[in-house]
Amino acid sequence: MAAQKGNGAEGPFVLAVPSKGRLQEAAHAFFARAGLELVQGRGARDYRGAIAGLPGVEVVYVSSAEIVGQLAAGQAHFGVAGEDLLREKAPNVGARFELLSPLGFGHANVVVATPKAWIDVRTMADLDDVAQAFRARRGERMRVATKYVNLTRRFFAEHGVADYRIVESLGATEGAPASGSAELIVDITTTGATLAANALKPLDDGVILRSQANLIASLTAPWGPKARQAARDILARIAASEEALNSREVRARLRSPAQAVVEKACERFGAVPAIGGDVDPHGLIALHCPRDKAAELAGWLLTEGAERVSVAALEQTFAARNALYDALERRVGAA
Amino acid sequence: MTPTIPGSALANSEGQPPRAAGERALDCLLAAGFERIEPPILHPAAIFLDMSGEEVRRRLFLTAGESGEEFCLRPEYTIPVCRAYLSSGKAGQVAEYSYLGPVFRARGAQGGEQTQTGLESFGRRDAEAADAEVFSLGLEAAAAAGGAMLKARIGDAGLFDAVLDCLAIPEPWRRRLRRGVARGLSLEAIFSRPSQSALAQPGVLAALESADHAGAKALVEDLLAIAGIEAVGGRTPGEIADRFLEQASLRSGPPIEKEKRAALEAFLGVSGDPDQAAIELRRLAHSGGLNLNAALDGFERRNGFIAARGVGIESVRFSAAFVRDFDYYTGFVFEAHDACAPGAKTALSGGRYDGLARRLGAPDDIPAVGAAITLDRLANGEKS
Repeated sequence: MAAQKGNGAEGPFVLAVPSKGRLQEAAHAFFARAGLELVQGRGARDYRGAIAGLPGVEVVYVSSAEIVGQLAAGQAHFGVAGEDLLREKAPNVGARFELLSPLGFGHANVVVATPKAWIDVRTMADLDDVAQAFRARRGERMRVATKYVNLTRRFFAEHGVADYRIVESLGATEGAPASGSAELIVDITTTGATLAANALKPLDDGVILRSQANLIASLTAPWGPKARQAARDILARIAASEEALNSREVRARLRSPAQAVVEKACERFGAVPAIGGDVDPHGLIALHCPRDKAAELAGWLLTEGAERVSVAALEQTFAARNALYDALERRVGAA
Repeated sequence: MTPTIPGSALANSEGQPPRAAGERALDCLLAAGFERIEPPILHPAAIFLDMSGEEVRRRLFLTAGESGEEFCLRPEYTIPVCRAYLSSGKAGQVAEYSYLGPVFRARGAQGGEQTQTGLESFGRRDAEAADAEVFSLGLEAAAAAGGAMLKARIGDAGLFDAVLDCLAIPEPWRRRLRRGVARGLSLEAIFSRPSQSALAQPGVLAALESADHAGAKALVEDLLAIAGIEAVGGRTPGEIADRFLEQASLRSGPPIEKEKRAALEAFLGVSGDPDQAAIELRRLAHSGGLNLNAALDGFERRNGFIAARGVGIESVRFSAAFVRDFDYYTGFVFEAHDACAPGAKTALSGGRYDGLARRLGAPDDIPAVGAAITLDRLANGEKS
């Protein structure tokens, strides 16, 4: 595909995003917050696009499952996908992908759920016991309907549950127990309402994965100098808006000298000097601190002699060190 | 079928290993009257998944048929040979087979194809003699294929079951013991697992302590009705009630009486020379007042047959805790490794599996015992 095009010439950086529905909208909104406007070529039906102002980047719109496939094959550098799909579809996630950032949407839990009528089953240990008895009594293994074959197998093995069979289900999994095609299910749930409507309940310790959409990097994609630059640009903006979102700027004028106060503020409130460098000799200070510490810091500055303290929200904060990109470079190796 | 390279230990031009080792083992089995059989490579995956559980799925090479049914490449020979036997028209009669060919198990970077040879004996009523013959022929064939220093371990799943019977171990513990011992856990580890679940209904359990099945079932039905739950999904109120009763009995009494635990401990601790073990087991049975006569008679008969076949008794150790997998094996079990082979993994393994035929669709159990040799685990066997 695009990323592997050409002999020697480096292909474009490929960002794979979901091609439809709420996931696509949420992904667009996430990138827009970071100042990255995804432009879909020739309207909503085109499956190729770009990022305004970043010419080396190609955006491809594909289904969630395909995003995982493209990342696994190294055809896309970055992709937006749920952790559930990634861990189900791709073995050895740790070695082949870097989960760069949870995106705050697409929340869903993959859970083990049994019929509500099983009032004697609340935990995986109960399930193990019941599965053994079921098999001893009927000579058949209990059936688990799921599309998460690999996640289920791993989780059941961790809990020592062996007497079961997986029945692959590619839709309406929650209906399987009622229809008699399985005894229990492993499925994704957001509110639990669908489970409840089907007379199912999740087990107390049956959460296999708390999943949300992630920005994922493929470690097997070709990471040439251009791709690295594109990744750095994208991640710098994401980091800038993420950090800004979680920080507040706190400004005040102190009686000089302010050096000691700044150092103490950094230590006690996790603040950093807003633009780095030496402290202003006239006592003017500007700090960035975690959002939930801002009021506390402001109060403390008043006790340290400030007359007025202002706290302001931030749009973006860029820093010379980019933790997101650094994490990626540690994994793909220096250029 | 792959060509034989007579007398050659060199790889052929395609870099394939020579088949000579496997052929030598097979000759040994053919000479003993075990007719060669070549069952299909492709089988419904469900058969292996039902038998061994989902854990084998990651080892299977799966493929799908035209209408979506799952097939797999055979990961071993016993089930394919047993299926061929059952459909041969000889089901239930005596039939003895040998085989040589590839089996397919995903093994990561090591690839997936291994060559196995082995033998299966069906329908013989002289169980101990059949056990001994299959075991000793397995050892002979492995030696012919290049097993330089074979060390064997034998056990008896039937004997362990007989002990559980004699001790009248109640059902939930029986299941746990069989599975725990098969997994190689110590008694301590098995008994230290929480014996009952943290059910939210201790009141229900208390109410059920003196109830019978019918009473418990009625109570469960009431509870479900009150909660407005229609019973869906596989288990009946009766089954749920029985589990409550089990839990209630675990709650009210000590898990297993001290003397029974001590007896189990002593039994599972028996190991060493098979004849010495037989004496020790008799002594334990006598002092514990356990009637293990039938099981121990069979055990001693089998030891006698094994010795009579000339198997060097010094290379065979018995271990009472060695039972392999209860899902499959019903009696005599054995395995051997070649102490000269690198890594010394189990190269020969097998046992008695009287229940398999019925699980594959036969109307009744059919006596069966077999052994499989993985050639590349022998010092001078094939490397795959």
